[in-house]
Amino acid sequence: MNLVLAGMNHRTAPVEVRERMHVQESTLVQALKDLMGYDGILEGMIVSTCNRVEVVANADDKDDAATAIRQFLSGYHRCDLREYESYFYWHRQRDAVRHLFRVASSLDSMILGEPQILGQMKRAFLTAQAAGTLNGTLHDVINQALAVGRRVRRETALGTAAVSVPYAAVELAKKIFGNLAGKTIFVIGAGKMSELATKHLLSSGAGAILVTNRTYQKAVQLAHAFRGTAIQFDQIFEYIDQADIIISSTGAPHFIITKNRAERMIAARRNRPIFFVDISVPRDVDPSVNDLDAAFVYDIDDLQGVVEANIKQRQREAAWAEEIVEQEVQRMMRHFASREVVPTIMALEEKLKRIRQGEMERFQGRLTSLTPEQRETVEALTQGILNKILHGPITELKSGAGSPEHRALVQVIRKIFGVAE
Amino acid sequence: MHTTLLWAAVAFYGLALVLILPSVRRRRPRLSPWSLGALGLGLLLHAATLAITTAQTGRLQPTDVRSALSLFVFTLTAAFFAVYLRYPITSLGIFMLPFVFVLSLISALQPPPSLSAGGLRGGWLLVHIASMMLGYTGLFLTSVGAIMYLIQESELKSKKPRAFYYRLPPLEVCDELYYRSLVFGLVFLSLGILTGVVWASRTWRGPWQLDPKIVASLVTWIIYLILFSTRLSGSGRRRRAAYLAIFGFAAVMVTFLGISFLSSQHGFFPKLGSP
Repeated sequence: MNLVLAGMNHRTAPVEVRERMHVQESTLVQALKDLMGYDGILEGMIVSTCNRVEVVANADDKDDAATAIRQFLSGYHRCDLREYESYFYWHRQRDAVRHLFRVASSLDSMILGEPQILGQMKRAFLTAQAAGTLNGTLHDVINQALAVGRRVRRETALGTAAVSVPYAAVELAKKIFGNLAGKTIFVIGAGKMSELATKHLLSSGAGAILVTNRTYQKAVQLAHAFRGTAIQFDQIFEYIDQADIIISSTGAPHFIITKNRAERMIAARRNRPIFFVDISVPRDVDPSVNDLDAAFVYDIDDLQGVVEANIKQRQREAAWAEEIVEQEVQRMMRHFASREVVPTIMALEEKLKRIRQGEMERFQGRLTSLTPEQRETVEALTQGILNKILHGPITELKSGAGSPEHRALVQVIRKIFGVAE
Repeated sequence: MHTTLLWAAVAFYGLALVLILPSVRRRRPRLSPWSLGALGLGLLLHAATLAITTAQTGRLQPTDVRSALSLFVFTLTAAFFAVYLRYPITSLGIFMLPFVFVLSLISALQPPPSLSAGGLRGGWLLVHIASMMLGYTGLFLTSVGAIMYLIQESELKSKKPRAFYYRLPPLEVCDELYYRSLVFGLVFLSLGILTGVVWASRTWRGPWQLDPKIVASLVTWIIYLILFSTRLSGSGRRRRAAYLAIFGFAAVMVTFLGISFLSSQHGFFPKLGSP
C-alpha cells in the first residue's frame, strides 16, 4: 500500500485556480485512464467539485506516486504545475485515509455538514470503479470513506440544523408545527428572502398558499409561480385567519399586524399556534405579539440569530464526528497492517518448516532404530523448538502493526530469518 | 423468588436509564437499542414478578403500596413502548425512564406483602384497579407532554436556541401527546371512579363517601375535566393548561400514594372494616 493524495479546496485555493484544475465529469473516465498510464500507478480516483479537486492514487511500493500525480496534472491540464504548487496539499498513507474520511463526512466542506459531498464522492467512486481504476487497497479505502460518511450522518446531527435564513424559517416552522402538511402559508409582499422561504416551506410539504401585494399584478405572478391564490391587498384581514404561517415583507412604515389584531386571530384559531416570519424592515408585525400564547414572531435578526446558534451547534457535532473519523482511521490502518504482516508470518513458518523437514531427512538413516513412540517424541520435540522460536517474532509482528517503526521491524525480522520479500 | 425478580427488573430499569445518558449528551435521532433492550428485559422480568405474585396470592389486585406501585410502573413501562412506537422521540425516554426507575425502586424497597391478606375480590374491583392504572398512566403521559410543551415553547419564544430546542420534539407533537393521553387518561379515570363507586356501594358498609381517597380522586377528576372541556371549546390558553396538567398529575400522585396512609378503606393494608 502506497497511497498519495493531492488536492486543493476552498481554503487553499481561490476559485480561479480551482476552475483551472477542475476535471469535467464528461472527461473524467479519460482522465482516470491518463492517470493510470503513469509509472507504477495501480489505482486512482479523482473527485472534482466546485469546492475541491482531489486526486488520489495507490502506487507500487517502489514508485513515487507523487511524481506520477504531478506529471498527470500538468499533462492533463497542460500547465506548469510549479505555478500552482502552493495551492495543493499532499497527504500520504494514514493522512490520505484520514483526509478522505473527513471529506466524505463533510468535515472539510465550506458549509460544515452539507450533504452533497457524500453523493459527489460516491459518483466519483462509481465512475472510477466502472473505468476499472479501483481494484485493491484504494477501493477499500474509498468504500470505507463512504461508510464513514454515512455513519457520521446517522450518528451525529452534523448536517441537520439550518444554516441559512430561509432554511431557518422552515426549521422553526417544523419545530412549531411538526408536520407541515395541510398548513397554509400567507405571503404578504414580495422579496427574494420570502420567496425562498416559501419555496422551501412548500417543498417541505406545506399545503395551501395565499399571496398578496400592494401591486395586485405582482401577487398574481407570484401566486402563479407557487400555484397559490392571489389576494387583494385590502382584503388581507378577510383571509388572514386561515393562515398558519405568515411571511411578511411589505416595507410598510407601520405595523400591519398589531397586538390587538393578533389576539383576534389567535381567538379565531382557537389557540392553535401561529408563526410570523417578519422579513420586513421596518417590521410589519408588532414584536409584542410574541408575548401572546401560541404566537411566535421571528424578525430577520432573530432568524439570523438562529442561524448563528445552528452553526455553533454544527461545530459541536463536528467535534464528535472528528472522533468517529479518528476511530475509523485507526481501524482501517490496523486492518491494512495486519494484512501486510500475514505474508511475512507465512514465509517465516514456511522457512522453519522446511529447515525441520530437511534436518529430519538428513538424519533419517540414524533414526531407523527408534520405536514408533520414540520417533513421535522426536517429532514433537523438534516441532516444540520451532514453535518456541517463532512465538517471539510472530507476536512482535502482530502487535503494533501499522506504525512506521513497525515496517522497519518487519524488514529486520525478514533479514534475520533470511526470508526475502 | 418474586422479590429477587423484582430487584432484577429494577436493575434493568436502572441499566436502561444509564444507557440513555449518552443520548442526552449527544443528540441522537433514536434511543440506543441497548437501552430499549434493557428496558424490555426489565419489563419481562417485571411481568414474571407480577405473574408469580398473582399465582401465590391467587389474585391480581394490589393490597399494599408495594404491589400497587409495582403494577403502576409495569403499566407505565408498557405504555412507554406503546407510545414510543408512535412517537419515536428520544426525549420521551429521557423524561420517563428516571420516573420508571425511581418508582420501581421505591416499590422494591417496601416490605413484601403478607400473603394472608384477604377480602379484596370481585370482578368490579379488577376493572376498577385496571382502569385506575391505565388512567394514571395516561395522565402521567399528559404531564410529560405538558412539561415538554412548556420547555419547547419557552425555547421558541426566547428565539435563542439552546440544548432543548434541538432535542425536544416539535411543539405540536408535544401538544398531540398531551391531548391524546389526556383523553385516554380521563376516559379510564372516569371508568375507574365509576366502577369503584359501584363496587364500594355493594361491598363496603358505613359512610364510605367521605373516604379521603375518593374525595381526592374526585378533585383530580374535576381538574382533568376542566382541562378537557376548555380544550374542546378552544378557549383555554395552552401554557396555562400545561401548568394545570402538571399540577393535576401531582394531585394524582398524592391521591394514589399519599392519601393511602390516611384512608381506612383504601389503605392498601388488610385492615379493612368490611369483608
